[in-house]
Amino acid sequence: MSFSGRHIVSIKDLSREDLIVILRLAQQLEAEPQPDLLAGTVMGTLFFEPSTRTRLSFESAMQKLGGSVIGFSDSSNTSAKKGETLADTIRMVNAYTDVIVMRHPQEGAARLASEVATCPVINGGDGANQHPTQTCLDLYTISKLFPQLLDGSAPLRVCFAGDLRYGRTVHSLLNALTHFHTELLCCAPRGLEMPSRYIELAESRGIRVEHNADLQECVHDCDILYMTRLQEERFPDPVEFHHIKASYRLDAQALEGARDHLRILHPLPRVNEIATDVDMTKHAHYFEQAANGIPVRQALLSLILGKCTPEGTLLKTTAEKGKGASA
Amino acid sequence: MSHRVRQVEAIANGTVIDHLPPSTTLKIASVLADHSDQVFIGNNLKSSDTSKPGKGVIKIANKELSTNVLSRIALLAPEATINIIRDYKVTAKGPISVPRSFTGIALCGNHNCITNHDECTTRFHVINPKPLTVCCAYCERNFPADELTIL
Ligand SMILES: [Zn+2]
Repeated sequence: MSFSGRHIVSIKDLSREDLIVILRLAQQLEAEPQPDLLAGTVMGTLFFEPSTRTRLSFESAMQKLGGSVIGFSDSSNTSAKKGETLADTIRMVNAYTDVIVMRHPQEGAARLASEVATCPVINGGDGANQHPTQTCLDLYTISKLFPQLLDGSAPLRVCFAGDLRYGRTVHSLLNALTHFHTELLCCAPRGLEMPSRYIELAESRGIRVEHNADLQECVHDCDILYMTRLQEERFPDPVEFHHIKASYRLDAQALEGARDHLRILHPLPRVNEIATDVDMTKHAHYFEQAANGIPVRQALLSLILGKCTPEGTLLKTTAEKGKGASA
Repeated sequence: MSHRVRQVEAIANGTVIDHLPPSTTLKIASVLADHSDQVFIGNNLKSSDTSKPGKGVIKIANKELSTNVLSRIALLAPEATINIIRDYKVTAKGPISVPRSFTGIALCGNHNCITNHDECTTRFHVINPKPLTVCCAYCERNFPADELTIL
């Protein structure tokens, strides 16, 4: 399906083929920057709740492609606070922009926006529901580290660790990863296990899912360790929380004996589930992961703004066409 | 068998909704009938095989149900059967048809769903027919259909 004009609301809307197009284009844009590709286009960033990381990454991606940005990063001084409906805010902003990136505290807000907007909408996070560009950047990071993900030559063993019950990022990443040749290992404290519907989804795609609550054992048994935060409010008993938090803390010593190519990812911000001494090891990859948000978001913007063929080949910019004619 | 008596009054013309789970009968009666309707309700009715759980039956006189009402019944009681009665005879009988999606007939059970805060018609897709489970098209959460609040 062509990307031009499409909304990016949920990872469920992206097929395996779509994901491959996004990853390949991100790689191309990283290798060959296109400073004029989106010249003359305007991105609206509608952040009804703050998320500096996501917003800055989108704005940087747009500006590196020659586009410009308008928007707000805090809804407290917008018409939304004066009682304007989300639908009306979108109809208004829509008139000024070629693409909308939005973040909203309520689940389903981006879907609703996509139904009223006449320009494409990218979901930058809707409550606890979806954050598809985070998933794309996670997948891109993994595909850069392990090209076997896309060629399928050998299974990639990915361990999800931490709060797998409520963790939006792991659910979405599981959905995306299970389109590819992977084996999944779930490492969660009791009560925070991966919900059965995601295990069933993986199995329906022929992906085996194993469980092991012992983080130390899991560290030695995977190619990618995807860590997430444990949130205290998920635990009824604070004593239990502190006990479990201690057993889900990764430090440099725990990495001794891990596979040489093991890489650790984390959606950030980390609190203390990854000790800072891990940062110095070859296994730490979470800062590189965050940086991959730029090419991935550039790829998504280029695709939905119609600057590529459906296969993800960049269309020539006007400047390049001019060069071609004079040569 | 000598003891068999009609547990709910017969109607000359109208609709009989049968095989309702007892927990849904009263709720369904309130969505499909209004004050001017002649309605007969039976609940926890036992068949001759008393080991089986009871069921609910609603008979509504001189009324055939709209698609909108039928889909609300389907959401609450997907295994119900619908009989159309004309002149005391069953002229049409069959299981209720469960649509693939439900629009504007139920509230989303997720309090933080945008549909509970903004101007928006709810929409649910069926993801599992038995037990009937639906997914909110907005917040993407799954709900057992009988847990939703019907509008
Ligand atoms: Zn919902």
